[in-house]
Amino acid sequence: MTSIDFSIEVDVPAQTNVDFYNSLLQNQPVHVLDVRNPDAFQRGTIEGKSNLTVQNLPYYDFVEDADAAVAQVSSDRDIVVVCAKAQSSQFVAGILQERGYRVSYLEGGMPSWGNFYDVRPLLEAPFGQIIQVARPARGDVSFVLVSDGQAAVIDPLRHLAYYRDAVAQANANITLILDTHAHADHISGGPALAAETDAPYYLHPYDAIHPMDMLPAQMPYQALTDGQRFQLGQLTIETIWFPGHTLGQVNFLVTAPDQSTYLFTGDGLFLESFGRPDLGGKGETWTPVLYQSLFQRLPAMINDQTWILPSHISHLDEGDGEGRFFAPYGQVRRNNAAMQHGTREDFITFVLNNLPVFPPQYIEIKRVNLGLFIPDEEKASELEIGKTSVP
Amino acid sequence: MATTFDHTLDVKGAKCPMPLVKSRKAMNDLAIGEVLRVVATDRGSVADFQGWAKTARNVELLEQETVQENGQDTYVHYLRRTS
Ligand SMILES: [Fe+2]
Repeated sequence: MTSIDFSIEVDVPAQTNVDFYNSLLQNQPVHVLDVRNPDAFQRGTIEGKSNLTVQNLPYYDFVEDADAAVAQVSSDRDIVVVCAKAQSSQFVAGILQERGYRVSYLEGGMPSWGNFYDVRPLLEAPFGQIIQVARPARGDVSFVLVSDGQAAVIDPLRHLAYYRDAVAQANANITLILDTHAHADHISGGPALAAETDAPYYLHPYDAIHPMDMLPAQMPYQALTDGQRFQLGQLTIETIWFPGHTLGQVNFLVTAPDQSTYLFTGDGLFLESFGRPDLGGKGETWTPVLYQSLFQRLPAMINDQTWILPSHISHLDEGDGEGRFFAPYGQVRRNNAAMQHGTREDFITFVLNNLPVFPPQYIEIKRVNLGLFIPDEEKASELEIGKTSVP
Repeated sequence: MATTFDHTLDVKGAKCPMPLVKSRKAMNDLAIGEVLRVVATDRGSVADFQGWAKTARNVELLEQETVQENGQDTYVHYLRRTS
């Protein structure tokens, strides 16, 4: 029989999302103890680098028999306890601390971690800035470009304060909002940002029709065309149609005055993989289109020095290893799994044989992004639950 | 509801882990074979009680239901002490 007194309040240190994220990026040896039920754990937990270990041990095992549960904690390293809110992790952390473990708990729990944003500069030059706005737990990445007081936002996520703050800090105004495609894995912040800034929101018209419902978008947008150019201060932004992941997927090629180039690929090309071509329900017909984009359109538009900046990552080691998720094309070309399958047949077989599970909520998320369904905050965060390993 | 019960534990307003912690304590005071009805407002309790009952000593989860009470969802769990 357990003899633990549940009323004891132990003072366990809390870990903020910022500190926790930095410890993951620095690959510190951390043991995450996820005390949610196994179903919640299966839907997604904390992911990090090689030195991170994760263990699922539900808090109710500690309620049932604290000593037996503690005996199952398979690490003597620094432990971070996480749960659905924070009270259960505090409870478990208290039990561990009483027994001499070095332990803290993640402030706010998994929902707060899922909504944690990391903002950091990728480039600061006389002609302008590129700021990365990432949501690491979900693998989503977006960007703010600034030049001469004007700002463009590429693939904004739905928590707009981060963009407002980044742009204000750069003493700029948002004049342009671009989505590389209609997203299925997360809710776009584009239309809402356009509504509050009066900046135009752009999307390719092929993506303004829901591929499953065959219904046209209900929110205001400007139609992008292949080759369309924008001038943002000293930066030129060229739109390049890049179908495959979606039919209306585009890349934005940014050229700076020093002739350096930056390709914002959305979900067309990632650093180590590519955007799955089956989310419209037509993988067999869209995969050859993706092949053409990757192997014929892409090499013609860039060189090995062009920086590739995708809107999604699958793990924290990508990019420079320090949380800046970009790399020169020459490196991407050598390391990317998809790029190793250069013939059409080989590529198609590789892609179609490796399609992951189709998350059912993706259909609904795309409805939201096309203005066909307007969720409240609770529904929005429910749709965005867990990590999108393959957007 | 068809499930009959012997005692009721009201944990409305209590947040995780307290509904389960209090239920564990209450179960210890039950006679073998008796049924405890737990009324919670914490939505997470539904999945957590299911998981807990799989591994817990002498606890069988007979039934769960969602009941509207004054416009609020409550989650009702019926637990039997088995030994
Ligand atoms: Fe996508």
